[in-house]
This record gives sequence, structure tokens and C-alpha cells, in this order.
Amino acid sequence: MTLLEIFDPKAAARPVGIDLGTTNSLVARVRDDKPQVIADCNGARLLPSAVHYDARGAVIVGQPALELAAAHPRETIVSVKRFMGRGADDAETKRLGTYDFAAASTPEEAKSVRFKVHDKVVTPVEVSAEILKALRLLAEDELRTVGGVVITVPAYFDDAQRQATKDAGRLAGLDVLRLLNEPTAAALAYGLEKQQNGLFAVYDLGGGTFDVTILLLDNGVFQVKSTGGDSALGGDDMDRALATRFLGEMGAPEGDHGLVRLALDAARQAKHGLTDFETVEIELPIKGGGTKKIVVTRGEFDALIAPIVERTGVACRRALRDAGVQPSELDGVILVGGSTRVPYVRAFVEKVFGKKPLGDINPDEVVALGAAIQADILAGENAHGGEVLLLDVLPLSLGLETMGGVAEKILPRNTTIPAGARQVFTTYADNQTGFDLHIVQGERELAADCRSLARFVLKGIPRMPAGLARLEVTFRVDADGLLSVTAKETTTGVEQHVEVVPSYGLTDEEVETMLLSALDHGEEDFERRRLIEARVEAEQVLAATRKALAADADLLSDEERERVTKAMTDLESAVAGERTAPITTRTEALDDATHAWAGRRMDRAVARAIEGKNLDDIEKEVSDAAGVDAHVEAHASMTRPS
Amino acid sequence: MRSLLHRDLTMADPFETLGVEPRFDLDLRALEQRHRDLSKALHPDRYTGAPATERRLSLGRAIDVNEAFRVLRDPIRRAEALLRRAGASVGETAEPAAPPTLLMEMMEAREELSDVARAKDLAGVLRLGAAMSARQATTLARLAQAFDAAAREPEKMSGALPILGELRYVRRFLDEVSALEEELSP
Repeated sequence: MTLLEIFDPKAAARPVGIDLGTTNSLVARVRDDKPQVIADCNGARLLPSAVHYDARGAVIVGQPALELAAAHPRETIVSVKRFMGRGADDAETKRLGTYDFAAASTPEEAKSVRFKVHDKVVTPVEVSAEILKALRLLAEDELRTVGGVVITVPAYFDDAQRQATKDAGRLAGLDVLRLLNEPTAAALAYGLEKQQNGLFAVYDLGGGTFDVTILLLDNGVFQVKSTGGDSALGGDDMDRALATRFLGEMGAPEGDHGLVRLALDAARQAKHGLTDFETVEIELPIKGGGTKKIVVTRGEFDALIAPIVERTGVACRRALRDAGVQPSELDGVILVGGSTRVPYVRAFVEKVFGKKPLGDINPDEVVALGAAIQADILAGENAHGGEVLLLDVLPLSLGLETMGGVAEKILPRNTTIPAGARQVFTTYADNQTGFDLHIVQGERELAADCRSLARFVLKGIPRMPAGLARLEVTFRVDADGLLSVTAKETTTGVEQHVEVVPSYGLTDEEVETMLLSALDHGEEDFERRRLIEARVEAEQVLAATRKALAADADLLSDEERERVTKAMTDLESAVAGERTAPITTRTEALDDATHAWAGRRMDRAVARAIEGKNLDDIEKEVSDAAGVDAHVEAHASMTRPS
Repeated sequence: MRSLLHRDLTMADPFETLGVEPRFDLDLRALEQRHRDLSKALHPDRYTGAPATERRLSLGRAIDVNEAFRVLRDPIRRAEALLRRAGASVGETAEPAAPPTLLMEMMEAREELSDVARAKDLAGVLRLGAAMSARQATTLARLAQAFDAAAREPEKMSGALPILGELRYVRRFLDEVSALEEELSP
């Protein structure tokens, strides 16, 4: 495929959904109203999330990379998702694994895990971007041009992990429309296909992450009630438990990366075998040459993984409590993730929720299918788009460190997103001229036990006695679950705004630099790409404005209408040209011309949404919707203070 | 840095944001439906292809709708919103001190709770929680009556204050029950 084809601006860009998994990744699209996984030329639907860096600097992704893992354990990164958004000193880097890590020489470098591969260093964001690029190429083979992308993340991913995923998408040259929680994606795919309403639990145990989500499906609205999980728990841990036993049997010396890889692979094979058989026999090389046959029974395996699976139960019970839901109220339990194939896991889920999980969906594919549907809806191409709405929640509380190192929660976990909250702080010392702001995420009492997201200092406060200054801190979480923070001091007339993006994310400049260095023809390709991106955005804005004109032209004065029409014509002619700058400025001009009108249109949309419906009418409607009442009532009575 | 418990300082009136009548005894199911209808109109998912300003506007308004719903769903914050509408100062310091009978009752309830907590008696914790929830229901009914009376005669608004104070005590107890429930659950 030539570059020209990839960038062919005339081929309509198609939205896709991507499940960026720990073990496997998939890309899916909607075709004729049905979501489907895009297979590669060999018919393979799952792309192993493995990236190999060879000695000459080439990058190999997928099955071929996986095959090189045993021979090149340090240069082949598998399960990179477990390292996303984690710092260099994170516990995850110290677990049984096969990598060399580069020491961080600056605090900047310590923000991320750094794999040492040959003589260079790669970060999890870059490794994930390679996987995403491979998926993009796969999708382009079928669709020619890929438009907006929805990438799924574990619901329990914190802000840093989400930011890293979004950065990987940008680095792969994708237009990331939205990050979508995996359980919500699964529910979307499942719910739309089955057309079923009710209260569901989604139990998602993947290769490296675990999520549980309780959600209410009500005529196209997918409202998440609560979510919980563990972003470092999954099938990999089962493999590790079994591999540790194998390494003992092999008499293998510690730190031999090749043998560790071999033991991990043997463990995975044994795990897969034990899904269908009561016993499996594995042949392992032993110290001093020769091999040894080891028999593993399902009972032995179950005993090994029991502590791992038990940990998921804690999160399940908490999610039920947070949602104010009893297991008996659930209408179904949806299983997601390859690790839910393990018989012990299925039995455990049945025990926790008191009902047999639904078995008629492919746990490997359902997340990608849901992502594809959401991408289709966001791109405005889905027939059901008008009815479907996903209302997701913040998985972990967001707060600020206050006096005594205590984490004060500003937005509690399970708050519906997008969300915002404002809190006022004051000084505790006389003549304090600055505020140290430390933003944390997590449920623990002390800030030191929570995930540190960002630190910044607000300076320039005039000297005054303790307790007089007023610092207003505003948290905003967007629909991707990403946080931004603004702070201002209000009493003294000295107003300061500080826009904070949590410290784990890459700046636009950093992404640009990385993109530039990754492209063969540097500047030239990069300029070309910026032009394409500007055009895509301009086309989107033009389409949205045309649609708005068709529906709400009556909300424009003649003068405004003239201005909008002119801005559109100007932009259209810029899009037909070959220069990026005029497209960007004229997109902004159109944005400017439609600003006031957009507010009026939104007011109209609100008026329509509640038109003729006073609360009594709604009450009748709600009580007509059988099955939903009881849940809502139960939920309302359990609602906790926020 | 010290926290001042002044939330929603500059937030718009949540009743207006959700377009509902400002009263205490709202139908929560209907309120949830209204929240969904408004989300369908304002959620950022509905504006992905729109110009940047419009996307920002939708994000801001969706946040307002979610926050208003969060306020009105919570009886304490709903009561505060009603008081704020009436121009009353809001917060615990603005409320009268709790009467000794209430303090005594709460102290005894807390002692009972710490006894069962020490014994790691989850069933006991749940039993005390259920009893307090029942008590909360009567407090809420009284608060609704007080706000009803104030709706007819605005000078009666201050009658809601002691009941709101009582509700705060009840709520703190129930919060502790939730925390213990989480701690003691298998």
C-alpha cells in the first residue's frame, strides 16, 4: 500500500473501535449496522500485544514478535499494558518478568517505566503506539482511511493510565474520539444486540487487569452505577503462579530471562489446556540438560489461582454495595476477557453473584465490538445514535492533599462523568505566600497512600494572617475520565489561574517531537499529516454546521446567518487548497461565528428534552417502564452523601 | 492548606439547571429520568464533530447537569440548595446547636456501634444501620414538612434548620456504618 492511498482525502474516513488488551488487541468497525472484528490477511482476528525490537532498529508487532519472545526476552515486550502510566519505581516493574529497565536520571524520566532495548530506551506509551499503528494499518487495508477512533481502557484505570493510553493513540497518528471503559463497551455490544433492559454486572478479567461494573440498561441509556477493580490483576498472575512452580521443578537459576519466558509460556499453555481437560502434561527442560514431564491437574491449578481469583470478589462486593444493589436484583452477569474461560473463575462468579453468567458472547471480542459501535455513534453514522447514551463514572476518588497529609476528596468515586466540583481552601500559617497543591487519586485516607497525579504551586499571595486567603480549586473530569484542575486566589484581587494537566501526560510538543522522529521523511510527512488532520477537522465542523443550519436556522438573525454562511464558504475554499494555516484559522473563524448560536441551540435542545414534561408526567412514564422502578428506588434510598 | 467546607459556592441553582420545582420532597425516580433526558441533549458524545467552542459548552453544561443531579439526589445538599435559594446562610455553623436529647441519643447509638464494631459483628453493624435508616426516613419526612410550611410562609424557613442539623448527625452515623460494613465484609 502506498502513502497516497493511505492519505487519500477523497476516501471517506471510517470510524473504528480498538480494544488495546494486555494479551491481545483487536480492531473492529460497524458495517451494515453490525459491528465486526477486522481480521488480518491470514484470517487472524486477535493481534498478540507483543512488540519486538530487532538489532537493526526494525519493529515487529503481533504473532511474529511473540514467536521471538523466547529467544529475545529482553527485546520483546509483552503485556505492556501493565506498565501504562506507571512510574519507574512502581512495584509492577519488580515482579517476575523478563525485562531490563533503564535507570531514570531525571525526575522527568522517572515519571514512566523505561524499557532498555538494545542501546535505546522505549516507554510503554511508545510500545503501545506500535501496537496501535499495526491495528491502524490492518484497518486501513480494509477501509482505506481510518477516521475517528474509540480506544477502550479498563474501567479501573486511573488518570495517569488513561492519559498514557490517549498519548499512545496520538503517537500512533490516530484521531482519538473517546476513551471508553471496557465493561461499558461490552455492555453496549451486548445490550444493543439483545435489546434487553435491566440491571447487569459485567465481570471483566483480562490478561492483566480486572474490572467489575454494575450498570442499568434502559432503552438505549447505559448508566453505570458503580465500578471497581484492580488494574494489576489478571490471567498473567495465574501464569506467574504456575511458572514459579515450573521454575522450581526446572531447577532454573534466578534471573535467567530466557527460562522465565519459557516457564511463563508453558504455564499459559497448561492454563489453556486445563479449561477443557482435567489434567495436562507439560515437558520442561531441566538444569544440566534433558527434559522432564510434569503433570498438572485442574485441582492443583485451582488451588494455585484461588488467592488471585478471591481478590476479584472483594471488588465485586464493593461495587454491589456502592451501587446499592443486592445480587438477587441483577438481571444478568456478563463475562468479558479471556481469563473468564477458566472454569474456576466461572464457578467463582456464579458464587459471588448467585447466578449463572451469560455464556453466549465471545469474551475476547465483545469489547472491541462495543468500541466500534461507540465510534460509529460518535462519528454520527449510527442509525441508533440518537437513542444510545453511555453515562459512565469516575472509578477512583480525586482529591487534594490538605493539612496533615490527609487526602480531601473533591470528587468521590462513582460520580457520573463528565463531572466538576469546586472546593475552597485557606492558609493555615500566617504570611503564607503560596499554596502547594498536590492532586491525588485513590480511596486511602492519606495522600501518600494514594496515586500522586500532579503537584504545582500557586504563588504571589500577599502576606496575611492564617485563614484569610481564599483558594478556589476546580476539578473537571471530561467524558474520557481525564482530569484538569484550575486554581485561583479570590480575596485579594490577585487572581491566578493555573491550568493543570496531570504530570503523567505528554505535552502536545512532546507528541509532535516523537511523531517527527518516527517518520521516515520527517518534516515533509509531518506537514502532510497536519494538513490531513486540519482538513478532517474542518470537514467535521462544516458537516456539523450544515446539520445545524438545516435544523435551527431560525435561531439566527439575518446578520448572523450571513456571517456563518460566509465563514463556511471561506473554509470550504481553504479545504480545497493545500495549505494548513488558512484551514486552521478559518475553522476558528467559523467556530467564532457559530458561538452564540450554539448556546441558543443547546437551550433549545434542553427545552425539547423537558418539553411538556413536568415531573408528574415523567413519574407516570417511569412507572410504566416495568422492571426499572425497583432498581431506581433501591438506588435512590441508598444514595450516599457526595 | 486547610479545607473550608464551602461547596457549591458559585454553582447555579440545581433546581433551575434540572428544570424542576424547588421543593424538598422530589420524586427521585422522575428526577433521574430528567437527568437522563437532559444528558441526552447535552452530553459531549452528542457534539463530537462540532466546533471547539460548542464542544466546550456542551462539556460545561453536562457537568452542571451531573452536578445538579448529584446535589438534588442527596437530601442534605438538596436542603442546603433550598436554603440558599431563600437567601439563608448555609452550613453547620449557621444552624442552631443540637439539643441535649439528640446528642445523648447519638452518643448512645455510637457506643452501641463501636461495641459491635469491636466484636467484628457485621450483622450487628447492619442491624444498627437499618434502625438508623428507619430513623432517617422520619427525619426526612419532618424536613419535608418544614420546607412545605416555609413554601407557604417564607418566614418559617428557619424551622428547617434544626431538622437539617439532626439529619447531619444521622448521616454521619450512617457513613460510619458504611465504612464498617466495607471493613468487616468478607
